[in-house]
Amino acid sequence: MTEHSRHTEEADIMNKKIYSIGGLFDTPDSITHAAEEAVKEGYTKFDVNTPYPVHGMESAMKLKPSLIGLVTLFIGLSGAAFAFMFMYWVSVVDYPLIIGGKPFFSWPAFVPVTFEVTVLSAAVGTVAVMIALFFKFPNNAHPLHDTNYMKHVSSDRFGLNVVAIDPLFDESKVRDFLSRTGAKDIEIFYEPERKPIRVFDPKFIGLLVVIAMVTAGVTYFTLNKLLYMPPFTWMAEQDRLSSQSQNAMFTDGFGMRNPVEGTVARGFTPYEFKGQPDSVVRNLSNPLPFSKEVIDRGKMRYNTYCSPCHGYFGKGDSRLNGQFPNPPTLHSDKVRNWPDGNIYHVITNGQNVMPSYDKQITRDDRWAIIHYIRVLQRSLNAKDTDLETKK
Amino acid sequence: MDDKGNKKDANYWRGFSELNSDPEFLKAKEKEFADELPVDSGEPEMSGLSRRKFLTLLASSAALAATACSDYRDKGAIVPYNKKPEEVTVGNPSFYASTCTSCSNACGILVKTREGRPIKVDGNPDHPVNRGKICATGQAGILNLYEPSRIKEPMVKTGAGNFTASNWADIDVKIIDTLKKASASGKEIAVISHTINSPSLKKLFEDFTAKYPTSKFYSYELVNETNKINAFKKSFGKEGLPVIDWKEAKIIVSLESDFLGKEGNPVEAMRLFAERRDVMKEDVLQESMQLTIGGDSSSRKEGFNRLYSVEGNYTITGANADYRIKLRTDAIEEFVYALISAAGENKSPINDFINKYNLKKEVVNSLVEDLIKNKGKSIVLAGAFLPESTHIAVNKLNDLLGNTRLYSKDYSETPLMPLTPRKEIEALTDRMNSGTVGAVIHFDTNPVYHFSSDYKYTEALKKVETVITMSEQMNETTSESAYALGISHNFEGWGDFKTRAGIYSLQQPMIAPLYKTRQKEAVLLNWISDSPEKYTENDYMNYIRANWEKTVYTSFGAKTDFKTFWNYSLHDGVVTFTEKADNAFAFKNEEFNPAPAMKAATGMTLTLTRSNFIGDGRFANNGWLQELPNPITKVVWDNYASISPAASEKLGVKTNDLIEISAGGRTLKAAVFVQPGMADEVVSIDLGYGRTGAGVIGNNVGFNSIELMRKNPAVSDWLYQDCTINKAGGTYEIISTQEQYPIDHERYNDIHLKREIIMEGVYEEYVENPKFLKEEKGETHLFNIVPSYEFTTTKWAMSIDLNKCTGCNYCVAACNVENNIPVVGKEQVGKHRNMMWLRIDRYYGGKSDDPKVSFQPMLCQHCDNAPCENVCPVAATNHSPDGLNQMAYNRCVGTRYCSNNCPYKVRRFNYFNFRNNLADGYYEQQSLSLLHNPEVTVRSRGVMEKCTFCVQRIMDERQHATQEGRALDGDRVKTACQEACPTNAIVFGDLTKKDSEIAKHRNHELGYHVLEEINVRPNVTYIAKLRNIKPEKKS
Amino acid sequence: MRTFDYTQELPVVDGQPPAKAIDDVVSKPLDTKPGKVWKILITITSLMLLVGGGALVWTFYKGIGVWGNNQPVSWGFDIVNFVFWVGIGHAGTLISAILFLLRQRWRTGIARFAEAMTIFAVMCAGIFPAIHTGRAWLDGYLFPYPNANHIWVNFTSPLLWDVFAVSTYFTVSLVFWYIGLIPDFATLRDRTESKLKKTIYTIFSLGWRHSTRHWQHYEKTYMILAGFATPLVLSVHTIVSFDFAVSVIPGWHTTIFPPYFVAGAVFSGFAMVQNVLIFVRQAFNMKHIITIKHLERMNQIIILVGTMVGYAYAMEFFIAWYSGNQFETFTFINRAFGPYAWAYWIMVSCNVILPQLFWSKKIRTTIVPMFVIGIIVNIGMWFERFVIIVTSLSRDFLPSSWGMYTPTIYDLGILMFSFGLFFTNVLIFVKTMPSVSISEIKAVVDGAQPSHRGGGHHE
Repeated sequence: MTEHSRHTEEADIMNKKIYSIGGLFDTPDSITHAAEEAVKEGYTKFDVNTPYPVHGMESAMKLKPSLIGLVTLFIGLSGAAFAFMFMYWVSVVDYPLIIGGKPFFSWPAFVPVTFEVTVLSAAVGTVAVMIALFFKFPNNAHPLHDTNYMKHVSSDRFGLNVVAIDPLFDESKVRDFLSRTGAKDIEIFYEPERKPIRVFDPKFIGLLVVIAMVTAGVTYFTLNKLLYMPPFTWMAEQDRLSSQSQNAMFTDGFGMRNPVEGTVARGFTPYEFKGQPDSVVRNLSNPLPFSKEVIDRGKMRYNTYCSPCHGYFGKGDSRLNGQFPNPPTLHSDKVRNWPDGNIYHVITNGQNVMPSYDKQITRDDRWAIIHYIRVLQRSLNAKDTDLETKK
Repeated sequence: MDDKGNKKDANYWRGFSELNSDPEFLKAKEKEFADELPVDSGEPEMSGLSRRKFLTLLASSAALAATACSDYRDKGAIVPYNKKPEEVTVGNPSFYASTCTSCSNACGILVKTREGRPIKVDGNPDHPVNRGKICATGQAGILNLYEPSRIKEPMVKTGAGNFTASNWADIDVKIIDTLKKASASGKEIAVISHTINSPSLKKLFEDFTAKYPTSKFYSYELVNETNKINAFKKSFGKEGLPVIDWKEAKIIVSLESDFLGKEGNPVEAMRLFAERRDVMKEDVLQESMQLTIGGDSSSRKEGFNRLYSVEGNYTITGANADYRIKLRTDAIEEFVYALISAAGENKSPINDFINKYNLKKEVVNSLVEDLIKNKGKSIVLAGAFLPESTHIAVNKLNDLLGNTRLYSKDYSETPLMPLTPRKEIEALTDRMNSGTVGAVIHFDTNPVYHFSSDYKYTEALKKVETVITMSEQMNETTSESAYALGISHNFEGWGDFKTRAGIYSLQQPMIAPLYKTRQKEAVLLNWISDSPEKYTENDYMNYIRANWEKTVYTSFGAKTDFKTFWNYSLHDGVVTFTEKADNAFAFKNEEFNPAPAMKAATGMTLTLTRSNFIGDGRFANNGWLQELPNPITKVVWDNYASISPAASEKLGVKTNDLIEISAGGRTLKAAVFVQPGMADEVVSIDLGYGRTGAGVIGNNVGFNSIELMRKNPAVSDWLYQDCTINKAGGTYEIISTQEQYPIDHERYNDIHLKREIIMEGVYEEYVENPKFLKEEKGETHLFNIVPSYEFTTTKWAMSIDLNKCTGCNYCVAACNVENNIPVVGKEQVGKHRNMMWLRIDRYYGGKSDDPKVSFQPMLCQHCDNAPCENVCPVAATNHSPDGLNQMAYNRCVGTRYCSNNCPYKVRRFNYFNFRNNLADGYYEQQSLSLLHNPEVTVRSRGVMEKCTFCVQRIMDERQHATQEGRALDGDRVKTACQEACPTNAIVFGDLTKKDSEIAKHRNHELGYHVLEEINVRPNVTYIAKLRNIKPEKKS
Repeated sequence: MRTFDYTQELPVVDGQPPAKAIDDVVSKPLDTKPGKVWKILITITSLMLLVGGGALVWTFYKGIGVWGNNQPVSWGFDIVNFVFWVGIGHAGTLISAILFLLRQRWRTGIARFAEAMTIFAVMCAGIFPAIHTGRAWLDGYLFPYPNANHIWVNFTSPLLWDVFAVSTYFTVSLVFWYIGLIPDFATLRDRTESKLKKTIYTIFSLGWRHSTRHWQHYEKTYMILAGFATPLVLSVHTIVSFDFAVSVIPGWHTTIFPPYFVAGAVFSGFAMVQNVLIFVRQAFNMKHIITIKHLERMNQIIILVGTMVGYAYAMEFFIAWYSGNQFETFTFINRAFGPYAWAYWIMVSCNVILPQLFWSKKIRTTIVPMFVIGIIVNIGMWFERFVIIVTSLSRDFLPSSWGMYTPTIYDLGILMFSFGLFFTNVLIFVKTMPSVSISEIKAVVDGAQPSHRGGGHHE
C-alpha cells in the first residue's frame, strides 16, 4: 500500500486497536540477541520473523519443542489400521471371491496397500493439521501483512514484534525495549476492523443459486444422459435377439417366429388325435416311471394348472367357487377306470368347458400329472388291505 | 383413491406411487395443500398441524422435483407370442432334424432354434453316417442364412446391365413363356446343377423334362471322385463306391488319400478311424495281455490300427499317420505296382523303388510286411484326384490282399445321377455357341467361376437367349445372367436325400423364408405347374410327401399309416432300412494294364487340392470359414502355393514371395508358403479361392487356381506333371495364426516335447507297461504355501484325448458359433488378434524335411490356481465355486494383465469393437443380430474374453435339474466343442462324481497336464498321444 | 533443534551474495518477459503435446487396437513408457529427501527443481496406466468405492498396488514440494509490484509470515515428510517391479526385480535431472547456483547406479542358467540372441558400457559429454523396460502362441505426447516459480547464521 494511505491511517490512530509493535534488525546475531533480551524482559507473546529459519532462534525464544510428530504418529497408525481392516472386510466379509485358489484372507497381499495408505494419510494429515490447526492458515488478513516490516522480513532483514496481548505490553516500554536492542524502523501494527459478512447479500445468494444449479445440472446430465450414451451403453445394448423382443428384420416386427407349417420339432411329433379318444389314444402308455420324483413333479404341476378348478384333491371343489362351473370329481368310477391315454387326451385337447392345455403343460408334465392323479384316486379310495401291505 | 372424499386426511403421506402420477393430479394436490394451509391461524393446536403441513409441502415438492428430474427410459416393447406354439418354450431351445446341403455328402443335422430362429447346427445323432457330428462347413452354413448380402427377391437384368428387383409372379410368367417357346422351337433347355442326391429332385427333373421335352440336365463338381468311381466300375463292375468297414482295418495305407481331411465323408471316416485308437477301451491292452473277456472278441482284441500315409503334400491324414512316407505325387502309381509285385513275393521292384526315391527302407519294408501279414485286415486307399489307372491298380492290390472283404456289407454309396462327363459339358458349350440352346438354368451353380477357361463358357453364355441363375448370393454367374433368382437357404426349405443304399434323410425348414425367396426346387416345380400363380410355400413339401408315400413308405413297409410315418421320419430326420446290395467283389483283371500308366516326370508336379473349409468356393463369402485356420499350416484367409523348404531354397524364394506356376501352357501367380515335409518336386495349391463376385468378405481372397485346370488334362483334372515354377518378384502377405520359427535350429527343435507340452509314446511300449509315460516323466511334487480352496459340490473339468484328435478344427467352428465369436479379418489376425477361444496348436517335430506333426486343442484350462485371477485389479475374472474361471465382462476395464499372465495364452482381447471393425460394419447389419446366440453376451470394445466351458449350457442343465427335481448331472452337459468333435476326443463333466467319464479320463495313466510344474493346476487333462510305430530295439 | 547441518566442504552458492540479490536472481525469470530461447522451446514442446494429443484422441475414438499390442504381447509402449516415466520420477524426491536426511548441503541448489521434475514425470507416468486400459472411461473401477453391487477391487493384484503406490507418491511429492514453496511464495508476494501476481502469490502463500513460531513446526514437518518420502520412493518402484515379479512369465518372475528396478529408476532419474539442470543452468544462467560440482556429484552417482544395473543384468543371466529352468534359460538366451537382440544390445551398451566414461574426471566435469551420456542413459533405460516387457511376452511358454510386436505411429505419437507434456511443464515451471528454494539458499550463504552458533562451522 502507498505512503499516503499509511499517513491517513496514522491520522486516526485513536479509533484503532493496536495489534503489536515491531522493529527490524540487520544481522542474525542481533536478532538472536534481541530475542534473548525479550525473553529476559519477560515478554511471552512476542514473535520473531526471519526470511529463513535462523539457527538457535527457538532456544533463544525459549519455545517448547514442536509436537507435530505425535500428530503424524497418530494419523499414520490409524491410517494403517483402517487400510488393513478395510481390506479384510472387503475380501472376507462383504464380498468374498475365490481368486487364484488363494484363501479369502491372504494377508501378505495386503501389505503394500497398507504401507501406501499409511504414508499417504500420515504425510497429508500432518501437513493439513500443521497448516490448519498449528498455523491457523490461510490467514491473509493478519495485521503484519502489507507492512514495511513484512516486506523486509520476507527478504533480507529480521524482525521482532511484541504483541499487545502480552501481559507486560505497554506501548512506550516496548518502543524503548526495541530501540535499546538496536531495532530500526519501529512500527506499530493495528488490528484491521472487520466488516461483518452479510448472509443475505444478493451476491452471496446468487452464488449459492449458481452453485446449486451447476451441481444439479451436472448430476442430472451424468445420471440421466451421460451414462446412457456410448461408450457406456456398449455392453448394455446387446446385438442379439432375446426372447420376446421386437425385430425390424421381420415385417410383422415379431422377434419370436412361429415354426413353419408341417415341420416336426424333436420330441414334438404332432398329437394328431382329436375329438373322442379312440383305441389308439387309449393304448397310449405313460412313458414316465411311477417314481417319487415324477409324482412330486406331477403334484407341483397339478397344483399349478389343475387345482384351481379340480381342487387340490381332485374332488372338483373349485377354488373359483361360483364364478366358474365346477368340474366333476376325478374320483368317479368313470375317471378311475379311464386309461392314462384317455386322461392325456383330455388334458391335451380339453373336454366340454375345459380348454386344451397343450400350450401350457409340457408333454412330460402331463404324464407326471396323470401319475399324481392316480395317486390321489388311490389315496381317496384306500382299502384295509393297504394297511396290511404296510406291515 | 379419490381425494375430494377425504379432504381431512389430505396431509397424510400417500406413498411414492402418487408422487410419480400425472401432473394434473399433483397440481390439484398442491392446491389442496395450499388452501388447507392457514398462513397465520389463531388456534395453537392448529398451528402445529399447519407446520407439519408446511413441512410436508416442502418435502413433497422437493420429492416431486427429484422425481421430475429423472427420465423414464424406454426399454423397448415386450412382444410375446399371440398363440404360443406347443414346441416352443420361450427362452428354451427346440431342435429340428434336417439334412445338410453344404456338400454332396448330405449329412444329417440337428438344428437348434430359439423362438423359431436357427442359432446352431449340430449333427443328427440318429443319422447312421455322421452320428451326431457335422463338419466345420456344415456348422458355419448358418451364417449364410443370415448373410446380409443375400439376394432378397428375384432380380431381372435391365438394359443397362444392372439388376432391378422384380416379383415372382411376373418372373414366372415370363420364364414359363420362354421355356415353352424354347421347347416348342426344339431349342435345348440346359439345367446345370451340382451333384443330385435327392430322389424327389430327380423325379422333379423327370417331370420337368416331361413338360419341356428339350430340357437336359447337367451336374458337375469342381472337386469330385469320378476317377475313383469309374475305376471301381471298371474293376468290379459296380456303381458307386464301397463304404469301408473301418473297424476291421488293422493296417491302413493312404496313397495321397486325405480321407481324414477332404475326401469322401471325413466326418464318418474320422470317427471310425479313431474308434480304433481309443485308450479308454479296456481291450486296447487285451491284445498282449490275452485276457479273455466275454462278448464278441473279433474287433475288441485288435488294439490300435496303423496308418501309413504316402504323400507329396502335407495333409491331415499324413499328420495323423504313424508312418508318413514323403513321395512325389506322380510316383504313386509306380509305387502301387511295386507293392503289387511285392505282394506277389517279388521284392525287387520295391527295393528299386526305395533306392530310386531314396525312401526310408525300414519304413517301406514294414509297410510291405504289414500288408502281407494282415491280408484281409488292411486297406489301401488312393487319393480321388489321382488318375483312373492308379485307382484300378489300387483295386487290384486290395483284391490281391483280400481286402475287399472290408467293403461294408450294409451300405454302399449310390449316386442317383452320375456327374456329367467333361465331353458333354464341352458339347453343351458348342451347342450354346451354335445358338441351339434356348435357355440355361443355373440351378444354384456357379459355372462361370468353376469351369476351366478352356470351355470359354462365359462367351458361350452370351449366345444363349435366356440365362437364369438361381443363387442365394450374387456371384460370377449371376452377373452373366438375365435373371438372378434369390433362392431360399437350406434352413428355409424342404428336401429329401439319399447317398447310401437304404438311408433316406429329410430336410425341413426351421424358419419361414426371411426374404422374398423360394427354394430352388419349388421354383422349378412352379414352372411345370398348371397354375403357377397359385404358389404356396408347401408346394414342394407336398411334392416330396407324395413321392415318399409312393416310394419310401412302401419299400419301408411301415406298420403305421403314412401320416405317422411321415411325422416320425421328419422327427428323426432319417429313415433307414436294408436295401439289396450284393457284396461280391470280383476284380476284372482285363482292366489292369501290366505297366503303370502314370510315371514320375522330371519336372515339378502340380496338385490342385480341395479347400479345407470353403468347399469349391461357394463358401468364400463366409467369414467364419475364411478365418478357420488351415489344420496344417494354420494359414487363414488365403490359399497359397506350398513347396518344400529345399525347393524354396533352390528357387530362392521364401514364404510370401510371389511365384509363377505354369502347367500345360497355363500360368498363375501365387504366393509361396514353405511347407515342411512337402516332397521337393511337388507344388500344391487349394482350389476355390480368388473369387471376384463373392461379396465383401470373399472377394479377392487368395488366388484362383482354377486358372490352371484344363478341360482335357493329360493325367487328371487335379494333377499336372512337368510344370515349372519361377520367381515372379513381388510379395503377397500370407497370414498364419502360428509363428513360423526355425524348427531345425537346436533352440527350437522339438521344443514342444522338451517342454512337455505334448507328450507322446509308442503304442507297444504302452501295451507292455501302461505306466511308462509317468515313469519317464517322473513325479512332480507340487505344493501351495497357502491352503487352496476346496471344491466340494461340483467341479467342472475337461479331458482331450490326443490319440483321437485329428486336428480337424470342427470344434473351433462350433465354439465360434456357440459363443458369438466375431470374425476379425485377415489384417487383424496378422496382428495376432484373432478372437477364437479354442485353437488347435500344431507343432512340428523332427527336422523340416520330414517333420512329425502333433496337434493339441488349446483352450482356457480353468486352473485352480489361475494366474490370471491374481492379477486382475478389478476382480473381473475370478473363480466360481464349481471350478470355473469366469469373466465378468461388464467389470473388465481391459488392463490385459490377465492375458500376459496366462501361461497358455488363451485369453482374447477386443482391441477394437470387432462388431464394426470387419469390412466396415459387416456385423452391424441387421440380419446378423439374429445369428448371435441369445444365451451368450456379445462383447464390446476393450473387454477381455475367453473360453467359459460353455457356462450357458451348464446353467441350462442346472435349470433342468431343478425343474425335474433331480441332482445336477455333469455328464449331461455337453460343451459345444465336445458336441462337435467327430472322434469324441473331448470329454467334459463333473470331477466330484467319482464314477463319471471325466474322472476316469483324469486319472488315466496317460493323462497329463500342460505346464504342470508351474503349479497353476489346470483342469484340462490331455491323454498322451501314442504312435503305433514299431519300437526301435532298445539294448 | 538442528535440522540443517551445513558443512563447508562445498559452497552451495559461489561467492556471498546479499539476500536481496538472491531474491533477484531467483525471481528474475519470473519478473522478466520470456526470452527468445524460451519461446522457441515452448513452441516445440507444445507442438509435441498437440500432435501427440492427436494420437491420443484417435486412440480413444478407435480403440487401443490402433496400437501395436497383440495377443501374446498385451503390453507394449503403454507400460514401457509408464515404467520409464515412473523411473524418471524417482530421482527428484530421492535427491530432495534422501540427500536432505543425509545432510547433503549441495542438494539445496537442485532440490526444488528435482522435486518439480518428479511431479511432472509422475504426471506423465500416470497418463499411461489410465489410457492403456481397453475401456479408459471405466478406470474408476480401479478404486475401491462403495457401490450398489458391493463389488470391490482385488487387493491381491499388483496393478492395484500400483494404483495406490503411484497416487500416493504423486500426492506426497506434491505436498512435499508445495510445503517447500510456501515461504518463497511469501517472499515473492512481498516483493512483487503487479497486482495479479500479488493475488496469486497471496493465495498460494496462505499468509505465511516467516514467523519463527511457524518455522519451528515447519522444519519438523519438512523432516517428517522427507522421512516418509524416502521409503516411499523405494516402495513405489518396488511395487512397479511387482507388476512383473509377481507374474508367472519367464523373464518377469524374478526376485531380483525390486532392487534392480529401484536402481534403474535412480539411474534414469539422475540422468534426466542432470540433463534438465544443465539445460536450465545454460538457459537461465544460474551457473553460480547450479555449479559444476553439483553436476559432477550427480555423474558420480550415475556411474555407481549404472554399475549396479549392470550387475543386475549379469545376475539375471546367471540365475537363468543356474536355476536349470528351461523356460527361464530360453527367455534370456532369446533376449540376447532372439529376434529382439538389437533392443537388448542397445540397452546393455547404453546402460552399462557408455556410462563408464564417467570414470574420467574430464568427461565428468565437462558439460557437453555429460549431457550426451545423460541422454544415452535415458535411451538405454527406456530400452531396458522394452526388453523386459516385450521380449518376455513375445516368446513365453507355448511356442504355438508366440508373436512379434511392432509399434505403430500412434504408439510413437503418445510417447512424444508424454515428452511434450513433461518439457512444457518444466518450461512453465521455470517461468512461474522459483526454481531454486530462496529461503534455503539464503540460509546457507556464508554468514547467514549467527556467528556464535557455528554459522557455517562444525560444532
